[in-house]
Amino acid sequence: MNGRHSLALTVVDDDDVAADQQQQYLTFRLGEESYALGLLSVKEIIEYGGVTQVPMMPGFVRGVINLRGRVVPVIDLANRLRAESASVTRRTCIVIVEVANDGEAQDMGIIVDAVSQVVDIPPQSVEPGPSFGAKVRADFIAGMGKLDEGFVIMLDIDRVLAGEDMAAVNDMKAAG
Amino acid sequence: MNLEPALEAFFAEADELLTRMEESLLQLESEPDNDELINDIFRAAHTIKGTAGVFGFDDVVHFTHEVESVLDRVRDGQMQVSNDVIGLLLRNKDHIGALVRAVAEKRELDAAQRAEGEAQMAALLALLGKQPDKPAATAVVAASADVSRSESAVSDSCANENWHLSIRFGADVLRGGMDPLSFIRYLCTLGEIVHLDTLFDALPQWLQLDPESCYLGFEIDFRSEASKAEIEGVFEFVRDECVLHIIPPRSQISEYISVLRALPEDELKLGEMLVLSGALTRAELDRGLSLQSEAASAVSAEGDGGPSAAPPQLGEILIESGAVGAGVVDAALVKQKQVKDTKAQEARSLRIDADKLDQLIELVGELVVASAGVQNVAQMLAQAQLTEASEVLTRLVEEVRDQALSLRMVQIGATFQRFQRVVRDVSRELGKDIELQISGGETDLDKTVVERIGDPLMHLVRNSMDHGIEATEVRLAAGKPARAKVMLNAYHEAGSIVIDVADDGGGLNRQKILRKAIERGLVAEDAQLSEREIDRLIFAPGFSTADQVSNLSGRGVGMDVVRRDIEALRGTVDIDTEPGKGTRIRIRLPLTLAIIDGFRVGIDKASFVLPVDMIVECVELAGSIRDAARSRGYLDMRGEVLPLLWLREVFDIDSPAPERRENVVVVHFGQTKAGIVVDQLMGEHQTVIRPLGKLFSALRGVSGSTILGSGEIALILDVAGLMKMAGSTGMTAAGITEMQGQNSREMSAPS
Repeated sequence: MNGRHSLALTVVDDDDVAADQQQQYLTFRLGEESYALGLLSVKEIIEYGGVTQVPMMPGFVRGVINLRGRVVPVIDLANRLRAESASVTRRTCIVIVEVANDGEAQDMGIIVDAVSQVVDIPPQSVEPGPSFGAKVRADFIAGMGKLDEGFVIMLDIDRVLAGEDMAAVNDMKAAG
Repeated sequence: MNLEPALEAFFAEADELLTRMEESLLQLESEPDNDELINDIFRAAHTIKGTAGVFGFDDVVHFTHEVESVLDRVRDGQMQVSNDVIGLLLRNKDHIGALVRAVAEKRELDAAQRAEGEAQMAALLALLGKQPDKPAATAVVAASADVSRSESAVSDSCANENWHLSIRFGADVLRGGMDPLSFIRYLCTLGEIVHLDTLFDALPQWLQLDPESCYLGFEIDFRSEASKAEIEGVFEFVRDECVLHIIPPRSQISEYISVLRALPEDELKLGEMLVLSGALTRAELDRGLSLQSEAASAVSAEGDGGPSAAPPQLGEILIESGAVGAGVVDAALVKQKQVKDTKAQEARSLRIDADKLDQLIELVGELVVASAGVQNVAQMLAQAQLTEASEVLTRLVEEVRDQALSLRMVQIGATFQRFQRVVRDVSRELGKDIELQISGGETDLDKTVVERIGDPLMHLVRNSMDHGIEATEVRLAAGKPARAKVMLNAYHEAGSIVIDVADDGGGLNRQKILRKAIERGLVAEDAQLSEREIDRLIFAPGFSTADQVSNLSGRGVGMDVVRRDIEALRGTVDIDTEPGKGTRIRIRLPLTLAIIDGFRVGIDKASFVLPVDMIVECVELAGSIRDAARSRGYLDMRGEVLPLLWLREVFDIDSPAPERRENVVVVHFGQTKAGIVVDQLMGEHQTVIRPLGKLFSALRGVSGSTILGSGEIALILDVAGLMKMAGSTGMTAAGITEMQGQNSREMSAPS
């Protein structure tokens, strides 16, 4: 009897935590621009290195890494977003994110120039993204987060790393 | 209470039982007298009914009950096993399957299934209704045959209702204070002595006669209700000193046999079985066994003389010494064999959750990687003890790997057997007389492969029957036997498993294929294609030669789907046809999907892995030969032309080739050989295949990846894919390139 009661409480708690986390974002830098990524989709951040190149793939696929025995593809985010390749520095990181791909969760790594911080962006501080003018494809932008330092581009990571879109690019490359 | 696991077990069991039932039914068609089959079918139906009853699946119980009644009639010989009955029972089996599935999926039967069920029910009831005037079937005669045979075998030795006791008292009986007469008197307390012969042929000449010795023997016909053990007990005090044979009356033998049949299905030794049934007493058994071991040691003493001289069987000894009749031993042996067989079957399979198995194999994969790492370190440190220890570890891990992988291996036989039914049904539907020949059913392959090969095989078999095999008149006119053959064969070859689907039909009609391909725009009209290329057109998407679309095949999806299914399993499919003689489709599949023996090669800093099974040899490429190979694109390999493929160029690797020398890895795939040019050869490694994931699904030439001992990732080369890539660039026929272009688009389209 008691069990059910406490269970209900837990659910409420979970909701709170989830709501909190949904407002939390990881911000990072790519070149001069700051981007934000929903914290819920971030699994871990690792040092850049050990990337094995995969031949005959488009430029934004940097290769694969060994993540504790699993093979995880690594995406060059700068290339994917703005078609310019990031150079590797001491602060370059791979952010491991979990993306939904056809209903299946899949881990992928994205290369970022530097990880900044975790910030709260309440819904009221999110502005819609510009429909044109931004260097990033409009459909990759979930919104613009207003922070003290200025705006960050909030990425729709599922769309950025969507398998179908990526595979389609890949095919075009293979066919052409 | 949570019934889910129990339900799962029921569904799995029902599935198995239904499969068994189908197999037995199909076999029954050719051997209608085999009552063991009928029993098998009956048991299957009965078990399903029983278990369904426990769970309260009334539909299943109700329907299966009627099926069981019909089977019961068949079993009792009140009904003939005709092809119609088997046909009905096969459909019944399907319907039971449908009912069980419906329950499993928690849904109602659809209208068609219900109608089918009712029709079958009516047929069953009709069968049951007009049953009584049917004469006894042959099946029962056969059933009782072996009983009567064994009875008649012993009836010679003991033709009446009396026990027969044959006793020879030992010489020392009197000295031991025993009087034979008292035993016979005591025997009378158990029953009535019908007849008694005193045997005194052992009496010596009077001069040699020792008055204190006993020379007497008796043959006694004895009527009694006592058991053999009780009768033997009478002579207990002189048991060791006399020779006693107790032959049971005839009625008793059939009783023994029936006791034997009714024994619980525990694995028993022959002797134990006879003792349990009462045909043999414990003491007789012990004596028989000691005789056997004496004989065995005698045989082994003579040993060198003839290895063929096996120690005598206990059964023979017992019969020889007259302890039991031959019939009883036979019956016991039959029972023993049955028990052994069922035991063996039970012991052979253990139900394990497939997920657990996969977890285990994944762990073993990690272990393999880890042990490769240890080996690397050991080699680096070059310390003798460590190297030795790591060698031992590696060997053990290899064994563990092989064992773990073999857990996933299943024989393909069961998959093949399913096609008996398909061929039977489809050949009737088509009005062709087709027989399925199966060989190589014991070939093992990965369970995942087995599961996924079923559909493509089904397509191929149906295709063979529909398109490949001609109508009976055509066959006869061509001088072929009316009965056509479809053959399924499986065997291992060069690290892969090969499955052949062959028929002795008309072969492919190349003109027709080419015409249709042109009609459908798959090939340019003026394209010059070789015979092989034309044959391969049937695997092109949207291709069909059928003038009419039957409900079996001809919709033009079949062969294309087959090819894609097989390619998805990292296999290939090839076709070999001879007009008028037949067609053979050869599927080549990797043995396992998880771990391979890999050979590592390097280009610059990157390393790649090739499956060792595909490598023929490695040769050095340097000096003038290298220059010549460079300009010609092939290598003169002991007079053979070996086409070369520069991996650096294929993969667009941006680094200069090494100055002095390169290496050629000669690989073979099917009938083709080629050389892959790489910088370095780095030796053999255990390779756990890790899929690259969806992102890389369209990538050709790479079949997966593996983690090396150092933690680096190496890509596994897909030799077949590489060859295809290299081949297609050189291909001139416009039609083929066109076709492949279509394929790659189709394959990469998001599903």
